[in-house]
Amino acid sequence: MIETRQLSRIYRRGDGTPVTALRDITLSIADNEFVVVRGSSGSGKSSLLNILGCLDTPSAGQYLLAGEDVSGYSEEQRSKVRSRRIGFVFQSFNLLPRTTAVENVEMPALYSDSPVDRQRAMSLLERVGLGARAHHFVSELSGGEQQRVAIARALMNGPPLLLADEPTGNLDSTVGNSIMQLLTELNAEGQTIVLVTHDEHTASFARREIVIRDGMVASDGPQDQSRRDA
Amino acid sequence: MILGNTVGLAWRSLVRNKLRSFFMMLGVIIGVAALTTLASVGEATQQETLRQFKRMVGTFDTLTVRPGASATRGMPSLSVVEPTLKFEDGAAVAAVPGVRRVARVQQVFDLDVIYRDRSTTPGLFGASTEWADIRGETVTAGEHLTEEDERSLARVVVIGEDVRTSLFPDEDPLGKIVRIADVPFEVKGVLASNGVGPGGSSLDNMVVIPVTTASKRLFNREYLTNLIVQVEDPEQSDTVAERVRAVLRERHRLAESAPDDFNIGSPRASVAQVTAVGTTLGRVMNGVAWIATLIGGVMIMALMLVGVSERRREIGVRRAVGATRGDIRLQFVVETAVIAGVGGLLGILLGIGGATVAALLQKLPPAYLWSSIGMAAVLSVVIGLLFGLLPAWRAAQVDPIEALRS
Repeated sequence: MIETRQLSRIYRRGDGTPVTALRDITLSIADNEFVVVRGSSGSGKSSLLNILGCLDTPSAGQYLLAGEDVSGYSEEQRSKVRSRRIGFVFQSFNLLPRTTAVENVEMPALYSDSPVDRQRAMSLLERVGLGARAHHFVSELSGGEQQRVAIARALMNGPPLLLADEPTGNLDSTVGNSIMQLLTELNAEGQTIVLVTHDEHTASFARREIVIRDGMVASDGPQDQSRRDA
Repeated sequence: MILGNTVGLAWRSLVRNKLRSFFMMLGVIIGVAALTTLASVGEATQQETLRQFKRMVGTFDTLTVRPGASATRGMPSLSVVEPTLKFEDGAAVAAVPGVRRVARVQQVFDLDVIYRDRSTTPGLFGASTEWADIRGETVTAGEHLTEEDERSLARVVVIGEDVRTSLFPDEDPLGKIVRIADVPFEVKGVLASNGVGPGGSSLDNMVVIPVTTASKRLFNREYLTNLIVQVEDPEQSDTVAERVRAVLRERHRLAESAPDDFNIGSPRASVAQVTAVGTTLGRVMNGVAWIATLIGGVMIMALMLVGVSERRREIGVRRAVGATRGDIRLQFVVETAVIAGVGGLLGILLGIGGATVAALLQKLPPAYLWSSIGMAAVLSVVIGLLFGLLPAWRAAQVDPIEALRS
C-alpha cells in the first residue's frame, strides 16, 4: 500500500534558514495493516502524515501509494489522489457546521467522479452505528458521534487507505476507546489504517508501531501484546 | 465536480445562513428594485403619453401633411400657415395607392363662439367628413356633419364637450344657433369627450364645421392647414408617405433641386420624439440605481471575503477529501452568483411592487418593462460572478495543511 524511500522534508523559515522535519524515512506498509505512527510533538509525525496524505510533497525521496509514485505530483493531481485513495479522520472531527450527518458523509463524493450516492452514505452511517441520527445537524451530535460521522465520511469514496490524525485526542477515554474499537473492526474487515498519535494507549490498539523521533524512524515493529492488554 | 451539485451546495449555504445571506443581498436587492421600479414607472408614463397622443390624433395609421417647408410643432392655424396646400391636393392624395382616405382641414384657434350672452374660444376645425371617421369621433347627441352639408356650404356646427358645458350649461344645444365670426351656425351634434391630451390640455375644447363652409363663408381662403391621410397598412406608412410626397411635388411643380413646400409627419414619429426625450432626473436616478447595484456587488464581495477566512477549516476539509482548487473556486463563485441572483430576484419582486404602487399613486395603469427587468436579473447574476472572483480566488489559495492545523 505504502512505500517510501529516503523521504525527507525540509522547510524554510522566514529568514531562509532550512529546518529538516523529516530525514531519510524509508518504510513500507502492506495492505490490510493497522499501523500507528507515534511521536512526540515536533517529532515530524505531522509532516510525515501530510506527505502520506498527499497534502504535502517530499523535498527529496520517493513516495509510492498503491504502486503509484506520487512524489512529484502537482496540487491538482494530489487532490485527485486524495479523492480516490485516502480517507482522513481528524482530531477535531472537522465536520461542516449547519449541515446534517448524512450530508457530511456524502461530501467527498461531490469531488469524485461518481455521482453522490445517498444510499451508500446511509449504509456507512449504519456501519458506524449512527443510522438513526443521519438527519441530525452536526451541532446536535456528541463528540464521539461526530467522530463516527467523520469516519463514515472518510470511507465514502471507498479509499484503500484511512489516515487518522489523533482521532481520540478530543474525546474522553471511554468514547476514545469505542472509536478505536470501531477502527479495529474496520481494519479487521480489510481497511488499511495509518494512525498518528502521541498517546501510547491509543497506539496500543495497532498491530504495528512506528516511532518517529527527530524526523527519523526510531523504531518499527509489532506491538507488544502485553502492553496492549494493559 | 458537477455544477448542479455546486448550485445545490450554494443554495443550502444560503438557506442555512439566512440572516448573513440577507445582508449580503441587501445592496443588490435595493439596486435591482430601484432599477425595476424606475424602468417600469418610465414605461407606464410612456404608455400613458402614447394613449394621450392617440386620443389627440385618433389613430396611429395616419400621416399629416402640412404646408411649409419645416415641421412646425403643435397645431397650425390658418392665419399663420403658408398658402401652398390646396383643396385639390387632398383629392390627389386620396388617389395615391395605399391611402385609405384623406381629411381636408382648415383650423383656426382664436375665434369666439357666442351663444346669447355666453362666449368661448375653442379650436375651430373646418373639416371634411372623413375627419370624424379617421379620428374615430363619435357624437353623444345629434349627428356628424354630412357630405350634403359640405356640398351645400351648410352653416352647421358640431361642438366639443367643453364648448357644450360653457355655452349650454343647462339647456339642450341641438338646433340652437351660435355665432362664429358673426356668422350664425346651427348646432348639429355634440362630440363624445376625448379627455386630456399630452401636456394636459383638454381635447374637447373645439368645434367642427364643414371645411367648405369654413373656406367660403368664414375665411375666404382656398388653402388648407393640413391634410390628415389615413393609410391602409400602418406598416407601409413610410412608403405611402414617399408616394404622397412625389404626387405633391409634381402638383406644386417643384424643380428637382427645390425643397418641399410642405411637410409630412407621422404621429408615430412625433411620439417617438416625445418619449425619447426622457427626463434628466430619470437618467440620474437610473444611474444611482446602477451604482447601488454595483455597491451591492462590492458588499457581497466584502462579506464573502470575510466568509472565506471564517471558512478556512471548511475549505481545508474539502481540499483534504479531494476538492481541487478549481472545485473550491467554482463553489465560491457559484455561491456568490446564487446570492446575487436571489438578491436580484427579490429586488425585482420588490421593484414590481414599487412600480405598481407608484402607478396607482399616479392613477395610471401599471406597466412593467420586462426587457429592463430581465436585464436587471442578468445584471445581478453577472455582478455575483464578477465580485465572486476575488473571494473565490482567495478561497482556492487556502493551504489545507494550515487550515486543518488545530
